[in-house]
Amino acid sequence: MLVAAVNAQTLVDAVGLGAVYALMAVGIGLVFGVLRLVNFAYGQLVMAGAYTLAWTSAWPGAASIAACFAVVLALSIVLERTVFRPLRTQSPAVMLVTTFAVAFLLQSIALILDIRDGTIGEAASPIGSLNQAVSIGGVDVRRVTLAAIVVAAIALGLLALLLARTTMGLHMRAAAADFTTARLLGVRADRVIGLAVILSGLLAGIVAVILTVQSPLVAPDFALKETIVVLVGVVVGGLDRLWTATLGGFAIGFATGVINGALPTDKTVFLPSAVFALVILVLLLRPGGLFAPGGRTAVVERV
Amino acid sequence: MRRLDELLPLLAPAALVVAVGLASTQVSRSWEISFLDALVSVAIVVAIFVFVGNSGVLSFGQISFVAVGAFAAGVLTVPLESKTFVLRDLFPILRDHELGNLTSLLLAAGVGGVFAFLVGLPLMRLSGLAAGIATFAVLEITHNVLREWTSIGPGATTLSLVPETTGPLQATLGALAVIAVAYAYGRSRLGRMLRATREDHAAAQAAGISVHRQRLWAFTLSGALAGFAGGLLVHMLGSITTEQVYLELTFVTLAMLVIGGVTSLWGAVVGALAVSGLDSFLARAEEGVDIGFTLDVPTGTRLVAVGALMALVLVLRPAGLTGGREPTIRRRRTA
Amino acid sequence: MTDAPLLVVDGLDVVYGRVPAIRGLSLEVAAGEIVGLIGPNGAGKSTTLHAIVGLVPPAAGDVRLAGRSLRGRSPEQIARSGIALVPEGRRIFGAFSVEENLRLGLAARRGNGVAAPLDGVYELFPVLAEMRDRPAGALSGGQQQQLAIGRALVAEPDVLLLDEPSLGLAPALVDLVFEALAAIRERGVTVLLVEQRAQRTVAFADRTYVLGNGELRMTLSPAEAGDTDRMIAAYLA
Repeated sequence: MLVAAVNAQTLVDAVGLGAVYALMAVGIGLVFGVLRLVNFAYGQLVMAGAYTLAWTSAWPGAASIAACFAVVLALSIVLERTVFRPLRTQSPAVMLVTTFAVAFLLQSIALILDIRDGTIGEAASPIGSLNQAVSIGGVDVRRVTLAAIVVAAIALGLLALLLARTTMGLHMRAAAADFTTARLLGVRADRVIGLAVILSGLLAGIVAVILTVQSPLVAPDFALKETIVVLVGVVVGGLDRLWTATLGGFAIGFATGVINGALPTDKTVFLPSAVFALVILVLLLRPGGLFAPGGRTAVVERV
Repeated sequence: MRRLDELLPLLAPAALVVAVGLASTQVSRSWEISFLDALVSVAIVVAIFVFVGNSGVLSFGQISFVAVGAFAAGVLTVPLESKTFVLRDLFPILRDHELGNLTSLLLAAGVGGVFAFLVGLPLMRLSGLAAGIATFAVLEITHNVLREWTSIGPGATTLSLVPETTGPLQATLGALAVIAVAYAYGRSRLGRMLRATREDHAAAQAAGISVHRQRLWAFTLSGALAGFAGGLLVHMLGSITTEQVYLELTFVTLAMLVIGGVTSLWGAVVGALAVSGLDSFLARAEEGVDIGFTLDVPTGTRLVAVGALMALVLVLRPAGLTGGREPTIRRRRTA
Repeated sequence: MTDAPLLVVDGLDVVYGRVPAIRGLSLEVAAGEIVGLIGPNGAGKSTTLHAIVGLVPPAAGDVRLAGRSLRGRSPEQIARSGIALVPEGRRIFGAFSVEENLRLGLAARRGNGVAAPLDGVYELFPVLAEMRDRPAGALSGGQQQQLAIGRALVAEPDVLLLDEPSLGLAPALVDLVFEALAAIRERGVTVLLVEQRAQRTVAFADRTYVLGNGELRMTLSPAEAGDTDRMIAAYLA
């Protein structure tokens, strides 16, 4: 039955998918923590990185990846200065609509740039060798899946250390918990926000590299579906705290991977509906998220 | 004079709509489609305004109701002879009946309203970010179900052969009807109670207003009007696909409302017409248009322009082109 | 020691929307003083403190620290200039440990202070030392108040502002707070104390301003602490 169809292969791939989604979840969660802003346009940052990789695919690998990071970071900073900062005094709903608009804007700009050569879609191939499979304990694992898991573990581990052990991390956690009081104690708002945006951008760059290896064709809607799924995971996991958001992102990635691997395609057509129905249920019953303690208090308000 | 001032918020947008409707009869066929599209957009955006503008709650899901209205009206007006071949898997009740134009529009409104009521019962407890996300989920669910459930519609294929009954007259009358209902609701006691919850949630509750109930009324009405607009839409296009009533339409109609001014009926109409005008112009410019000289912009400029305009308005003038206020002939007291 | 006051509020106007919360308020605090600020609810006491630390912009008037204007500065800049606020309701970070809360206070510290600033606070409030690794949310109300004060002191401010520190505390704990304030004054920190407990404040502070309806009504000295008639008149004015 369902259990029988889940083999080691599926599990490993699912963990890999969960790892990528966890990275995106952290990227979204970091910015949300300090700005209280859900960045709908996060997928477009990944898309921009992917396009950079595609347009520099003739360059040596390291240079291409460096360009990718440069573009994503620059775009993140520009967005923060021009869009997020002026909106800080607005309600979360207005901020959501604006990032929605920015997402469409960036996607449309990408379309214009992409279609100059007559076709939609560019091919990226930064590290072709990563697509090869390695046999571990009888299971065929693509190198990129391993790389994704390892990179995600390292990145998340480093981030956890940064947040828990350093002064800057303490300031960021305080800003996420109670921004006003943190400022009263001397925490510099612009530094904390700047750091969150840069870290978020770095993670988007990492995701861009991993995703382009897995699916080398880059189109304007690159990472859009993934962003929507990750947002679902983050909300269901719990938007308020970084670790619940990350766990939510990982969980939905893992679940998606398992379900897609285990069930035949014709049985998964209504999967999106089930997932989104779950989101609504969580928002109604446990607005703090599935993993949040108590489940009562949350940034997402209720009547 | 005072009576005129009360009626102006209804007459001004109505006049604009009638003007556009009249103009559409005077232009060439290819331009006529743009004008009709503008009028249907007005209907959709005003439907969205009825809920979003009066409650102050953001909803990404109103296009779901346009979708169900469009598909309901569409499926039930495809001529019977073709329907059995083209839509084989339909439920018998859908397959064996064919409705007239007006009936299909009323059905679309009914389906939209009922769907909105059922969705709104649980969802109207939510505010702010949660409402935005939950209504987005409704949009996704509607899209998914319409796309995969071939017993109620064409699924992923295009629904065509729908009678094209939305000409200048139907579009104008339809838009006027939606505006009139929105105006009447806005001036009614229900509308005022809902706006009170928008201004000061806690105070309104303390005054005995049930926030949940008022929002539910508006949401249901908005759903019915959106469904009706969906009927207008499908009869204008003669066909419909799930992608046409999904993310892009959600974005464009929301942009129209924001750019015009979220909190006023006038803003909804102005925004819809202004952005439609810009959109049509740019759509032509993408093909190359003659305005004295030939203007040729790259494909995709339309959405960039609309997106950029929306982002600019949100950052620089969040109240929109109209400032979110209704038109008045009295000089505004600056206080 | 100079004669010029350390903290000066000069003709301050603060407006919320269209409602004036404070009108033409002027007060001063000299270095080493403890000055009280009392008044009925809604008089504008908290607003005054918020305006000093930059949380609300003044519509008119000025706030000066050691002669330099603080207008237009962000809250974190003002904190780093040597003013610390112990906010109403304490606003500690419940999920962080006591020690982390104190370390957070170091953000406003200006360079060359004592080597181990936390030690000074642990000496003043020994119970915090005992609970240093516990989450701050596990502390009782009185302990949280001590933490909030300690957190502000860690930055070694020149001026300490307190917004109703005795709110919700049992009498024994209120005594503790006032004792701590006395010890703080001995360390050379200037204090502006906003309080509801009128008599206690008037008796304790060097001078006490009485605020009513956003305006300064009168100034009371400790000798007048027993004069209830005068105080009632002040509140009802």
